[in-house]
Amino acid sequence: MDSNKKYWKGLEELNKTPEFVEKNKHEFAEPIPIEEVLSGGGLSAKTPRRDFLKALGFGVGAVTLAACQKVPVHKSIPYLIKPEEITPGVANYYSSTYEGSAILVKTREGRPIKVEGNPNDLLSRGGLSASAQASVLDLYDNGRTKDPVLNGSDAGWAEVDSFVKGQLASVAAAGKKIRIISSTVHSPSTQAVIADFITKYPTAKHTNYDAVSYTGIIKANQNSFGKAVLPHYNFDKADVIVSFGADFLGTWISGEEFTRQYVSNRNSASLEAKKMSRHIQFETGMSLTGTNADARIAIKPSDEGLAIINLYNAISGTTLPGSKKLSNANADKAVMLAAKELVAAKGRALVVAGSNDVATQVLVNAINSLLGSYGTTIDLDNPSRQYAGNDAELVEFIAEAKRGEVGAVLFLDANPAYDFYKAAEFKEAVKKVALRVSFSDHADETADLCNVVAPNHHYLESWGDDSAVEGYYTILQPTINPVYNTRQAEQSLLIWSDNAVKDYYTYVRNNWNTNLLAKGGLAGQPGWETLLQAGFIKAAPVAAGTYTFSLDLAGVTQTIITHSNQLAEGGKVQLQVYQSVAMRDGKKANNPWLQELPDPVSKVTWDNFAAMSPSDVKKMGLDEFGVVKITANGYTVELPVLSQPGQAQGTVSVAVGYGRTMAGLVGNNVGKNAYPFYSFRNGTFQTTAAASVEKTGDIFPLSQTQTHHSYEGRSVIQEVTLKEYLKDPEKAAGHEGEHEKYDLWEATNNDAVHARPVYDWVMAIDLNACTGCGACVVACNAENNIPVVGKEEVGRRREMHWIRIDRYYSFAQNGKAEADEKTGMVTKEKEIAELENFDNVTVVHQPMLCQHCDHAPCETVCPVLATVHSSEGLNQMAYNRCVGTRYCANNCPYKVRRFNWFNYWNDSRFDNYLNNEHTQLVLNPDVTTRFRGVMEKCSMCVQRIQAGKLKAKIEKRPLADGEVKMACQQTCSANAIIFGNRNDPNSEVSKALKSERTYYVLEELNVQPGIGYQTKVRNTNETELQA
Amino acid sequence: MASHSESIIREPLITGKDITYARITNEVLLPVENKPNKAWWIGFTVAALGAMLWVVSISYTFWTGLGTWGLNKTVGWAWDITGFVWWVGIGHAGTLISAVLLIFRQNWRNSINRSAEAMTIFAVICAATYIVAHMGRPWLAYFTLPLPNQYGSLWVNWNSALMMDVFAISTYFSVSLVFWYTGLLPDIASIRDRASGLRRRIYSVLSFGWTGSVKTWQRFETVSLILAGISTPLVLSVHTIVSFDFATSLEPGWHTTIFPPYFVAGAIFSGFAMVQTLLLVTRKVLGLENYITMFHIESMNKIIMLTGSIVGVAYITEFFIAWYSQVEYEQYAFINRATGPYWWAYWSMMSCNVISPQLFWSKKLRTSIKFSWVLSIVVNIGMWFERFVIIVTSLHRDYIPSSWAMFYPTWVDVGVFVGSIGVFFTLFLLFIRVLPSVAMAEVKLLVKTSSEQAKKKLIDEGHLDPAHVQYYKESLIKYDSVDMSDYEKV
Repeated sequence: MDSNKKYWKGLEELNKTPEFVEKNKHEFAEPIPIEEVLSGGGLSAKTPRRDFLKALGFGVGAVTLAACQKVPVHKSIPYLIKPEEITPGVANYYSSTYEGSAILVKTREGRPIKVEGNPNDLLSRGGLSASAQASVLDLYDNGRTKDPVLNGSDAGWAEVDSFVKGQLASVAAAGKKIRIISSTVHSPSTQAVIADFITKYPTAKHTNYDAVSYTGIIKANQNSFGKAVLPHYNFDKADVIVSFGADFLGTWISGEEFTRQYVSNRNSASLEAKKMSRHIQFETGMSLTGTNADARIAIKPSDEGLAIINLYNAISGTTLPGSKKLSNANADKAVMLAAKELVAAKGRALVVAGSNDVATQVLVNAINSLLGSYGTTIDLDNPSRQYAGNDAELVEFIAEAKRGEVGAVLFLDANPAYDFYKAAEFKEAVKKVALRVSFSDHADETADLCNVVAPNHHYLESWGDDSAVEGYYTILQPTINPVYNTRQAEQSLLIWSDNAVKDYYTYVRNNWNTNLLAKGGLAGQPGWETLLQAGFIKAAPVAAGTYTFSLDLAGVTQTIITHSNQLAEGGKVQLQVYQSVAMRDGKKANNPWLQELPDPVSKVTWDNFAAMSPSDVKKMGLDEFGVVKITANGYTVELPVLSQPGQAQGTVSVAVGYGRTMAGLVGNNVGKNAYPFYSFRNGTFQTTAAASVEKTGDIFPLSQTQTHHSYEGRSVIQEVTLKEYLKDPEKAAGHEGEHEKYDLWEATNNDAVHARPVYDWVMAIDLNACTGCGACVVACNAENNIPVVGKEEVGRRREMHWIRIDRYYSFAQNGKAEADEKTGMVTKEKEIAELENFDNVTVVHQPMLCQHCDHAPCETVCPVLATVHSSEGLNQMAYNRCVGTRYCANNCPYKVRRFNWFNYWNDSRFDNYLNNEHTQLVLNPDVTTRFRGVMEKCSMCVQRIQAGKLKAKIEKRPLADGEVKMACQQTCSANAIIFGNRNDPNSEVSKALKSERTYYVLEELNVQPGIGYQTKVRNTNETELQA
Repeated sequence: MASHSESIIREPLITGKDITYARITNEVLLPVENKPNKAWWIGFTVAALGAMLWVVSISYTFWTGLGTWGLNKTVGWAWDITGFVWWVGIGHAGTLISAVLLIFRQNWRNSINRSAEAMTIFAVICAATYIVAHMGRPWLAYFTLPLPNQYGSLWVNWNSALMMDVFAISTYFSVSLVFWYTGLLPDIASIRDRASGLRRRIYSVLSFGWTGSVKTWQRFETVSLILAGISTPLVLSVHTIVSFDFATSLEPGWHTTIFPPYFVAGAIFSGFAMVQTLLLVTRKVLGLENYITMFHIESMNKIIMLTGSIVGVAYITEFFIAWYSQVEYEQYAFINRATGPYWWAYWSMMSCNVISPQLFWSKKLRTSIKFSWVLSIVVNIGMWFERFVIIVTSLHRDYIPSSWAMFYPTWVDVGVFVGSIGVFFTLFLLFIRVLPSVAMAEVKLLVKTSSEQAKKKLIDEGHLDPAHVQYYKESLIKYDSVDMSDYEKV
């Protein structure tokens, strides 16, 4: 029904007022002011066109300006003509050499990004040290000398050549001496080039010298057996090893090689054969080797010689004149015990000493001769060539220079202005030399004194060869075009000596064709190509002869005792100068990876320090990192003190390699120089001195990656004595009394969702093989693009390392404290605090990385599923998804997750390290760099797993066991890390995990970690004295 | 209405003589309708400076990265989550007062619920800023929301307590906001009716067209009750879920089933303390002594004492369980709390939270305004330390001793926290300038029944048991807003 009601909107409508009727005629009740707006013309218009144009112009202009910021153009240029051997995305490997070890260099699109050991290398069988791993970074060091320098300004090579040749000619004409000062040259071709140079300039002489010298051993062998060589030691043939301060697993001669040898008598295979070598270490400061010893006795440097004398007496049954007891009665007993064990192992025994004192080394030779070590554990007939420095010759050079006899000096890989003990004297003397040439690729302390700097190639840009051990020759081939305008030193020498062959590559080839290829049974072009592929040749070794020591020891003994008395000077502290594993002699001080590598023992980064016994630190009333003033041999230095358990009381140890002033941005003024503490005595440099140590009251905080040093009796570490292990291997790994584990997720465990259909990647780490050297840390840095954060950030406990080596101290009980039931050691912080004697410390190293738990606690707590499990048992990070709540890191019982606190790759505060265009070329393109605010952690080198699987797939075959190696595993000379597929019962890792020594860290949490550890075994002697 | 008179032995909820509806409106709206006084300006300036510090600290953090905070590889949360939990905890009193007490018909809530709810909202805002700020990549905070996307099965992780937290906090915030605003409607309408010009327009929009008809009032009551019903479980759930952030982890010292009730009690404890801190000052400065009386103060102090005791029992229970479980990590975590490097934080917490509230057993102390105010601050310091102890001392020494580390805050950590207090007070001070800090409509409900004057009238009428009257008179002694001389002659 229609309604005929009328609704009205207002009284106006109802009343139909005239206004309303009028208004209602139009669509809009009130007129629209269009006419008004458009009224007028030109400038008198209501809204002039000009205003409109102004607004429009300003608007467009402003927007354009705002958009004007230049977008950086990163050109990605395809190969116009693709080099045959380069496929983008596929790595090429070239064999080369690093310090005598055969290596493989991984290159991507023409740039070397990683150095890996050559698995067939004679020395370490594929293992590489931290410094070798870090060497690739030096190639891209932005601080390298980019052009030759003549009299302080950049010059062309032609200019430099004519200048040097002119000078050399005039020097030669004047009959003045020419000196080539170098670190030990063990490259046959370089030696030949130098020989040719000397032929051209007969007044020239080549002097090898090493910042850390082995002249003592060489001279002692000359003295004892008439062979001035550095012997080749065979630690693998030694059942009993006694070392007096020789850090043979770390810095002594050939650490990686010795590690491989040493561990072969202590690893799983050896233990399964119920065999383990015995290692007794007498030393002052705690060295890497000392941390691995079965028995370690802290002795003062003044006691070292005396201990060797007593050892000789005990072994020979005679008494050398002047023998006396040590200041430490326990050490005396330990020497007797060591003698007994050595004699029992005659022919399988080895005594080494780290001293550079000829007399001491002669006495060690006598002992080794008595033990029948020559021909078995010591090889004098295939000697090492790694160090051939002659300390006296360098000192002589300075005297010559002072007298003004030297007309020209060339420094090759040598930096005496930094590492000579009297650097000031050296600098003064060298000023008197007219022509001073440095081949250094950095404007280092010595290059600074030179009028010519002819920058050498980095070794990855060079041709060459090397021979670390008699009969073993390795080839050095370039893997990239020279990054800067540098030239190989050998080439410079060839040009300056007007050699018939001007090109060093041709020279090397000629040298190999005529002298070396034949030794490896190779010849001609095919032989050369075989060599380039294999990387080395090995001549048939000479049979190691036996040598008998037959000289009188009276004089030697007297020298040792006199020296000991000097050191033991009343009221003084005995100073020992040593090499740290990371920084070594300091030549690589500008390498941030090495600076940030924690010292294996102290865990200090970016500094050296004065290591003192905790008892001494307490006695001096020093605070943690309190600065002390150390004075010895007329040199004074202020260093923070580090309370070092195991440091002999009344001694202080300081590492060389720090305190560089012209190393580059990274290395300058890191720590203090300890070389001036050296002294020159009986023709060799000595590393010990009587010193005075004073408290200054200052504090200089050191950045340590670990600040708690005991494991609190937790099952995190399992250790056992060899005796117990042999008695009951099962019990040894702490498997007794285990509870049944309950699992909330039992039901889903067998689901197809959680199945590992093909691969289940796991790892086994043998704590008895790991020496704690830290090479794996640097290898991981290089492989996974791990940023360097610097001293301050490490001090804030923010280092980014994906793998770390945890180092724990435990102490012998001394009645007061409560010992751990199982190990009989004191491991708890509060009980350690009650101890008075910190000398008797044992150390365990534990590599710690993401455990890839099957029930990963990190995965369940991530709100955005940025960390998830793969079907191959890996715990993975999706960086792009991570919002950075850090809950995963909090919930990780192993604390292996690392957070990007800053944008390390693009933050001006980190410019010193990796953040520049050149250095970034070292990045591994297979691994993304992480933005700030993102969590990261060990990925189990997932890029390597993928590459391996892909390769196998292309070749239509299953992936073989051992084909994919983790970066950490690959570089480990001790083979402590095994990685592989648990689904394959025959894989190395499956076999290793079956060992009764296997345990899982924090197994009781039932997070099901994927990394099994094998119990540390100590070959301790029951009758051993608790020093 | 006389038949609705309340028993004389109940203490009055409103004091003062000649309280009329108009007077209530006038007194409550005094700060809203007038220019701010000097005290407000001083307070506001300080608070705004704090808020600026917050802006600077947060901007610096966002610009440079979380490295500007003192966190490290071992201690991944410290002042950030401490601050977050602290603020969420503070935010608990508001809902408890408005919802739970409404359901239990506790009329004394009427005077304090408005400010308490406002405080809740501002505290939750402060807490929420921490959620975003503590993220490494805060610009991707939306990743934590289950937004449909085109990345295949990319979704959030419902197993993660942080995920539940996002929902718990946002639900709590929205419900609290709605509840608060609903309660505000009649009061906003009152302002609207008294205002003119632009203010009138603004308040008229804000009042959602409140007419004050019986139907409106009836709906208002119904909605309040429904919202109270929704909010009540939230009071328990929010801090339960916040406690899951810790309880569902593996961390010794976090992995504890006692956490949910313990956290809720702690939250109410700190929430009431914060209400005290604010209201004791507000009632003085704004002259609201007649509406927020000693009865309120004492009641809240009793709740503080009760919840403080619950928290104390929880602390002791944790120790007992650590011993009883014989788990070495758990035992170490608790011994380390009390005797390790952060012992001072633990004992600050214990003395502020467990020992000091026990002083409220003394009636003299719990009816002392000055003492109550000081103690409310002490409790809030203690509750901050509680979260610091739980978070930092658990993390800094957990399973693997090699990773044990210390946490040292930077100026940015301090700036963000102090700044968040500035933000809170800025918001609160703005609130008391633009909205009534006491729920006028609800207080007016009490005038005829529970006010001092109504009761005085009853006494004057003289039909009461003198013993009761005597009892009532004695109960009035503690009131600072009652003039006892009025009762001398009675």
